[in-house]
Amino acid sequence: MDLVLQLLFTGIGIGAVYALVALGFVLIFRATNVVNFAQGEFSMVAAYLMVVFSVDLGWPYWLSFLIALAGMALFGVIFNLGVYYPLRHRTYLPVIIATIGASILLSNSVLAIYGPQPQVLQGWFDTPGIQLGPVYLDSQYLLIIGVTILLVLFNFWFFEKTLLGKKLQATSQDKEMASLLGISVSTMIMITFIYSAVLGGLAGILVAPVLFVSIQMGSTIALKAFAATIIGGFGDVAGAIVGGLALGVIETFGAAYISVPYKDGFAFLVLIAFLVFRPQGIFGERVAEKA
Amino acid sequence: MPLLEIRNLVVRYGEIEALRGVTIAVEQGQVVTLLGANGAGKSTTLRAISGLAKPASGDILFDGHSIAGLGPEAIVRLGISHVPEGRRVFPGLTVKENIMLGASNRKVGASQISREADAMFDLFPDIRAFSNALGWTLSGGQLQMVAVARGLMAKPRLLLLDEPSLGLAPVIVQAVFRIISQIRKDTTVLLVEQNARMGLSVADHGFVLETGRIVLGGKPDELWGNEAIAAAYLGGHAKSHA
Repeated sequence: MDLVLQLLFTGIGIGAVYALVALGFVLIFRATNVVNFAQGEFSMVAAYLMVVFSVDLGWPYWLSFLIALAGMALFGVIFNLGVYYPLRHRTYLPVIIATIGASILLSNSVLAIYGPQPQVLQGWFDTPGIQLGPVYLDSQYLLIIGVTILLVLFNFWFFEKTLLGKKLQATSQDKEMASLLGISVSTMIMITFIYSAVLGGLAGILVAPVLFVSIQMGSTIALKAFAATIIGGFGDVAGAIVGGLALGVIETFGAAYISVPYKDGFAFLVLIAFLVFRPQGIFGERVAEKA
Repeated sequence: MPLLEIRNLVVRYGEIEALRGVTIAVEQGQVVTLLGANGAGKSTTLRAISGLAKPASGDILFDGHSIAGLGPEAIVRLGISHVPEGRRVFPGLTVKENIMLGASNRKVGASQISREADAMFDLFPDIRAFSNALGWTLSGGQLQMVAVARGLMAKPRLLLLDEPSLGLAPVIVQAVFRIISQIRKDTTVLLVEQNARMGLSVADHGFVLETGRIVLGGKPDELWGNEAIAAAYLGGHAKSHA
């Protein structure tokens, strides 16, 4: 029982990272109808920004954290203007290919600068963790879970309670109609890219002390997050979060009870099962394409 | 000076010439109805006015200033609100949210918009009970009410209504047209209709479009009086739709 609780904690911790990246996937998909294959590289770039500010320049951790996030917001702007905006009137295919191209460009640029050896990033706290009864709570996982809870609450408030959130939803549901109402579609899509880049960046920074900072970290996380969006129900915000958490828990338990080397395999086994038996995911398509 | 003046408007979709030199004028305070068969260019005319379709040549003057070539976001800010074909109510937003977003062209705060949306239910009492229902759950008639209410939230000087009666039961069509005759007290309306009888019943002036050209224009009784036209464009359609 103790082990189960311990694994549940770790699983939710890593699942929260998948959930944040999955949320970024879903938000961009809903706004642009395109899967952003560079979503994982958002996390990777942010983790390297942390290495630059916190390790190389030796700035305080909190300052590096804030500047890295601001850097990711700027990165979202550049990504939108460079990758999506020029192709916005084309079909989804050129845009998807452009995101794949951006993903390759980003990982190889970082490779050229930092080389292939992984970098190490310290966690936020000096204390490694706390013992709570039978469960050892790793401080970094606690931070990840705490930040994810805050972000999910923020996300709900932003999209459900603010007029800007409603305009973003309207834009993702019918761009032409949104523009007829005077909603600036290009501004809404810009906001979506900034928000997704910050979300992905946050996930990368938070998970970096748990994993290593490497050019592959983005693609590993993104693949899991993508699986999470399908498990949760593609395009569904709640589905992305639930799917991410579920995937984290499943692979942690799989690794502990069945096989450690096949840890990544469990996630994809679940994905395949969903694609075969419930392709619409946990939450399915709740909103019809056309009313 | 007319509120809206369209001069020799040509719109092409690729190789196809959807409008081939359309000229119409809408005076302030009027309801003007555009009639014509499917594919005659009625919707295209509205899409060109609201900026969704780019004119290949000709001009569109609103209040004496050319708006041809401006984007839809800029045009709605000038005071032209387009309620497009198919209602296009956002399926994942509630009725009230849909209506509130109609004010996106104006610089007003969220609480003010919320009050105005509540007041809009006085004009559309039938949808008040569905204020918190999601768009996709509504019937065709309710969707049409939401779409018109949303269009009015822009506080438009000119309201473009595309086929408000399409696919609705006769009793609902009558309700929609009662609302149009109420709107006309404050707002100039350019109405597109296949249902000629209903369309002309509220109109001060009518135009008949045929394959991208205006073939006839006049007061409603003049249009009814033209026998050949009445038979071809008005009577036939009126019978099959009313």
